[in-house]
Amino acid sequence: MKNIIIFIAAASLALGCKKSTLELLNPNQLTTETYWKTETDVQSALAATYGLLRDVNGGFWGVRGIETSNGRGDDFFIRNDVATLYQLSTFTNTPDNGPVNDMWNTCYRAIFRANQIMENVDKVSELSADAKAAYVAEAKFLRGLNYFILAINFGDAPINLKTAATKDDYFVAKSPEADVWAQAKQDFTDAAAGLPVAYDKQWVGRATRGAAIAYLGKAQLYTKDWPGAATTLAKLTTAPFNYQLMPQYGDNFVVAHENNQESVFEIQLGDVGGTDPWAGENSAQALGVTTAQEFAPAEVAGWFEVSPTDKLFNEFKKEKTVDNDFDPRMYATLIWDYPGATFYTKPFTSFKLIFGYSSMFKKYQNYTQKDEITGASGASNYTSSNNERALRYDDVLLMLAEALTMQGKPGEAYPFVKQIRDRAKLAPLTAGLTQDQMMAEIRHQRMLEFAREGQRFYDLKRWGLLKQEITNSDKVGKQFYVAGKHDYFPVPQQEMNSNPKMVQNSHW
Amino acid sequence: MHSATFLIWKKIPFVPILLIVFLTLNSYGQQQVTVTGAVTSKDDGAPLPGVAVTIKNTNQGVATDADGKFSIRTSLGSTLVLKALGFAPQEVSVTSQKLSIVMESSKSDLNEVVVIGYGTVRKKDLTGAIANIKGADIKAQGVSDVTKSLQGRLPGVTIESAGGNPGAGTRILIRGVGTLGDAAPLYIVDGVQVPSINNLSQLDIQSIDVLKDASAAAIYGSRAANGVVLVTTRNGKSGPPVVQVNANYGIQNLAHRVDVLNAEQWANVSNAAHDAGGLTRLDIAQNPSSLGAGTDWQDVIYRTAPVQQYQILTSGGGDKGTYSISGSYTDQQGIVTVTGYKRYNFRAKSETTKGRFRFGETVLLTREKTINMAGGWGGQGGNPVGSAAKMIPVFQVYDSSALGGFAGAYGPVVNVANPLAQLHLEDINTTSSNVLTNVFGEVTIIPGLTYKLNMGYTANFTTDEDYQKRHTVGTLFTHATNDLSLTKEETQLLLLENTLNYSKTFGKSSIQALAGYTYQKTDYSYLLNARTDLPDGLRNIDAGRGTSTNQGNGLESALLSTLGRLIYSYDDRYLLTASFRRDGSSRFGAAYRYGNFPSVAAGWNISNEKFFSSLTSAIPVLKLRASYGILGNQQIDDYQYSAVISSNINYVTGQEQQKWFGAIQTAFATPNIKWESTKTSNVGVDAAFLKGRLTLTADYFVKTTSDVLLNVPIPGSTGSISDPVVNAGRLRNNGFELGLGYADHAGKLNYSVFGTFSRVKNKVLELGTGSQKIFGGQPTHHGASSTLTEAGGPISAFYLIKADGIFNSQEEIDAYAKNGALIQPNAAPGDIKFQDTNGDGQISDEDKVYAGSPFPSFEYGFGITANYQHFDLNAIFQGTHGNKIYNGLRQDLESMSLEFNYSTATLNAWTPEKHTDIPRAVTGDPNINDRTSTRFLESGSYLRMKTLQIGYTIGDPLKNKLKISSLRAYVSADNLFTITNYTGYNPDLGRTGSIFDRGVDFGHVAYPIARTLSVGLQLTL
Repeated sequence: MKNIIIFIAAASLALGCKKSTLELLNPNQLTTETYWKTETDVQSALAATYGLLRDVNGGFWGVRGIETSNGRGDDFFIRNDVATLYQLSTFTNTPDNGPVNDMWNTCYRAIFRANQIMENVDKVSELSADAKAAYVAEAKFLRGLNYFILAINFGDAPINLKTAATKDDYFVAKSPEADVWAQAKQDFTDAAAGLPVAYDKQWVGRATRGAAIAYLGKAQLYTKDWPGAATTLAKLTTAPFNYQLMPQYGDNFVVAHENNQESVFEIQLGDVGGTDPWAGENSAQALGVTTAQEFAPAEVAGWFEVSPTDKLFNEFKKEKTVDNDFDPRMYATLIWDYPGATFYTKPFTSFKLIFGYSSMFKKYQNYTQKDEITGASGASNYTSSNNERALRYDDVLLMLAEALTMQGKPGEAYPFVKQIRDRAKLAPLTAGLTQDQMMAEIRHQRMLEFAREGQRFYDLKRWGLLKQEITNSDKVGKQFYVAGKHDYFPVPQQEMNSNPKMVQNSHW
Repeated sequence: MHSATFLIWKKIPFVPILLIVFLTLNSYGQQQVTVTGAVTSKDDGAPLPGVAVTIKNTNQGVATDADGKFSIRTSLGSTLVLKALGFAPQEVSVTSQKLSIVMESSKSDLNEVVVIGYGTVRKKDLTGAIANIKGADIKAQGVSDVTKSLQGRLPGVTIESAGGNPGAGTRILIRGVGTLGDAAPLYIVDGVQVPSINNLSQLDIQSIDVLKDASAAAIYGSRAANGVVLVTTRNGKSGPPVVQVNANYGIQNLAHRVDVLNAEQWANVSNAAHDAGGLTRLDIAQNPSSLGAGTDWQDVIYRTAPVQQYQILTSGGGDKGTYSISGSYTDQQGIVTVTGYKRYNFRAKSETTKGRFRFGETVLLTREKTINMAGGWGGQGGNPVGSAAKMIPVFQVYDSSALGGFAGAYGPVVNVANPLAQLHLEDINTTSSNVLTNVFGEVTIIPGLTYKLNMGYTANFTTDEDYQKRHTVGTLFTHATNDLSLTKEETQLLLLENTLNYSKTFGKSSIQALAGYTYQKTDYSYLLNARTDLPDGLRNIDAGRGTSTNQGNGLESALLSTLGRLIYSYDDRYLLTASFRRDGSSRFGAAYRYGNFPSVAAGWNISNEKFFSSLTSAIPVLKLRASYGILGNQQIDDYQYSAVISSNINYVTGQEQQKWFGAIQTAFATPNIKWESTKTSNVGVDAAFLKGRLTLTADYFVKTTSDVLLNVPIPGSTGSISDPVVNAGRLRNNGFELGLGYADHAGKLNYSVFGTFSRVKNKVLELGTGSQKIFGGQPTHHGASSTLTEAGGPISAFYLIKADGIFNSQEEIDAYAKNGALIQPNAAPGDIKFQDTNGDGQISDEDKVYAGSPFPSFEYGFGITANYQHFDLNAIFQGTHGNKIYNGLRQDLESMSLEFNYSTATLNAWTPEKHTDIPRAVTGDPNINDRTSTRFLESGSYLRMKTLQIGYTIGDPLKNKLKISSLRAYVSADNLFTITNYTGYNPDLGRTGSIFDRGVDFGHVAYPIARTLSVGLQLTL
């Protein structure tokens, strides 16, 4: 009898489950309905959008991004290790190239996140209208920046200004390159109107009004809107802006001088997150980039994935300083076998140049450390905390000079070029240069000033000089360059496969 | 007591001790006489040799001699039990000292009971498609995983190795791939759901029943769409205690290695490739003739590895209760050095009857420890197996001056790690403890009506440890500190089942009805703790001086179900089964939570019809079956229906460069996802011919799966980091399966033969957006996809650019043009010609053609069991036919583009003087000869001798002297040989994971299989 009672008790217990037992909420994550309540939520959303800029796989300033943006340049060599990188640097890449796919996807992830911020900021009741406007402006800057990256790399691309609401919204056809540029410019214009000139100490590194104006000017320059570019960029030379070149060019590439007076927009990197650069987007993810380790020579635990070509090396040697020394930018950018050359605290003679080129990259390397594998804590660490300077005032000056020169006013370009040359301790420029001569000077200066900074290939493209300059270089794989085809990346195969509305770029 | 004994025996070589103990035991005396007998077959009156004659409820027994005669000491009035292969067991009372016994051939095994969900049914009443195997028929001993020995044994059940790693399990697919997500079946052990059955001890298994069609499986509703595997562990039997001891020791060797170049050969190929590519030769290859053979990296990591298993089981019982207790120990070292697997199993099962109550429980405890290989250091070489193939033989193994003691690669070569360094410098191990308990109580309310409460609980506690020793391996791999990462996972499942069973026979009708209400809840938690910079020799988090990483999360899911089933039989001729289950799952949103899964089946025992009576002696069994039903599948991650905010997507900000916490929605959710459902129709026939010696079971089925749950790839331009789960389409599988058995004797030779045959064809009827293409099967670290799944085609078919021979001259390249433009402008003589399928004048993914299927046209198994006097033989073969394998490792090793080692095939590379079918050696490979193409697709058909086992059972005189029931010694060989054209490690791939990677041999993750030779003893006291 007792047993029967136990049975019935147990059975009724078991039967007592209600339908609500199936209502199990995710215990790990907030849902979209419960988010977007506080200013912190908006700020966190921005962090998650900024973070993609240095994503290890697809971030334009992450290691693959640096390799992808520089790899096709006549000044750059990628060794035959990571096949997909070697292929894109030797113009034998195919639409299924992984790094290119990742770059495309990462841009759109940032755009998706920026759109979320714009759509949801109104839900945060504690924010003032001004604060909301500033956050929307910041999101627009980030969206514009990603459309800029898409435009220079892919040309035509889908434009998403809203988050997908239904399944049908997942499939968007591409818009012409001109429309992508227009969108980028619109976003930068809107951002410039809403962003602050500066942030307080805690928030240094976020996009400022100056950054938005500089990128707007850059977009205008890329689209050959010379008067627009000149007008826009000129704003940065006067109040309220106070940008100045750093006295020492090389200070722009060391940790000690991050977010300096020359910095207009800078990718913030630090050894303050997890320890694993490949962990994906979670707390284990390192918040630096692995670029320095991948570029460093084997002798200091690097993977020596890249090298400057001798074309770059020789370009630096073309003009000596007033002291008859090499350009200080050459010392800051490259390391080679010169008397007293040291690298990673060792004499350069203890390093081996293995690709037949004469130099290695020094810029952005942590060459005062003993190797590239030891982090701030002393533990193994593949990442570098050295901020990537995405856009500097020297770029503003040279772009402004170019915008003026291209309007047939090379004379007006002199003061801006002079600042660049003076810092490099170069003799004053001959007066009376023609437009072509001034452009040649600007091209030469840009090649030196921004080596390894992902500008050379895109500069050559907009100048229409890709074929000529790749052909006359010592770049490996130059014979496979096909004009027109390799100026843009193909639409990634994954996008082609999953988006019925997508059409492949011509030549691919 | 038993468990204590077990614990002691686990530690010491107990078999010899046992023998000694029992040799010294005295027999118990009794009033006995000598009984002699002659056993003949009813069919032809011939004497039957080899019949086992035992005295009921004792361990004493003899076997009949060549003339079918036996002699045994027993008392008058006792009962003898006679058993022989192919004959129905028979009990004979000893009424005189001279017996004449006639045995009837077994009318197959249709009287035996088959386990179905929530109960059992006599095989003759069965209407569904079920494949089953008895524990006693599972022969292979040299493997740690019982499921491996089921390969080829069960028609319609595909069992593939999940790799050669010690402790690695198998992948079981029932009737093909019914879904595009997780296609694993539902595993039930003694009524409780478990994630896999790989860790069961072979001796513990009484039977494995595989429910294949809707009628059989529908009672399990959810997740049953992929079939159900029911494992019943051993019960005790009334009678004196039985003790069984098994011991096995084997050695394993690499069954097949890949042929790669030695140092001198490599240098020559590398130099030729650099010359062709216009690049400077590598320093290390400068002087080929001085390099000699160099390091054979495969020799460095592979070893002859022992495997040993010891099992003990004791069981018995009285009228009111039975028990069965067992323990086992398995120790398998891997053929890749360092790797290994150990397992301890303990199991207790008992049942007690008291009045109208019946109680019982199963307790199963398992502890496993696996030492795994490191993954790919730096990504490019892969795991040590991959690195061993790719590591350049010029490099050395050891460097005593280097931190950690290992040498490695240097110079501008691909980041492939010294595989031995990987194995020794990174310790990755998993310790897993499993608890399975099931307790039931049953009360008979009125005769025929019982209520049963079943409570199941499983818990799994897993700790993953990854310890990296600080090291410098060559110039490419440096790790400055000792780092430790610990992951703890805990999964608990609680199951409550209330069932009412009613069975009644009235007149010629009998019914068996079932109603039930069940609840099931799963809780999972995850915790990761990692810290860097531990002092040498200390391996605890607290010792670390460096950075800490913590992560943790949890998951919950629940199922609530009502179920019912009616089995009706009329006159043993007409059979009807109907079942219904309604499941509610927490994995779906409120509006889509419930699914209904009905089924109906009918059977007709033609052989029991009057009109058939003249045939019954020749065809004792003929039964037709037909069934139809709907099954469900909810195998997706939890919470997929709600859009969430992902956090810790951090950035850096501020003058002080502090961490900026980030969080946002990163992926899309599909709020309206619902149950996947599979409609299955099945027709089958069971028959026995030749007076029951030949048995046949054949089934034909059509399975149509709708609302397939799948992460459908959405465009990257949406900005989602992952693909949402949607109800993505429809699939159809149809197939035919056949099981044959034949048992007979010829003189003193008793034998039985089995054969299985399965053929399944699948087709995608609808998918995603309609024109949706799902690509998969990445074959190498950077290689392009090799499979395509789209509507109208088979699942995961190979779609590849077609390699169309070699350009032997510039003229051939120039002639391959479209509108005056070269189709392959980067090609040089010796490069591969690819087919421009779409005729657009260039080679691209648009040129892919269908190149074959990773699914076999059919798979089969066959085997023979025979005994002759004291000897027995088991031979089992198994194979597949018609499937293709994409050989990813060969794609790497034959490429000659990257700086690692190459296949010996490259010695035969094309040169202007020597035209071959291996393209020219060229670093950088501008023509991309090594692109994913048909060049690397191979036939995957194989026939493998799975098991060969020869046993010897000691004769009666010795047995009686030893006072034991039986003692058998055997030698066994697993994977003795494989007949295949496949050139990789193993045609039975063992790649787990996505269905879209099927048939793709990704060299980076492989662990080749071993050939195992073992010896063993099986002792029954």
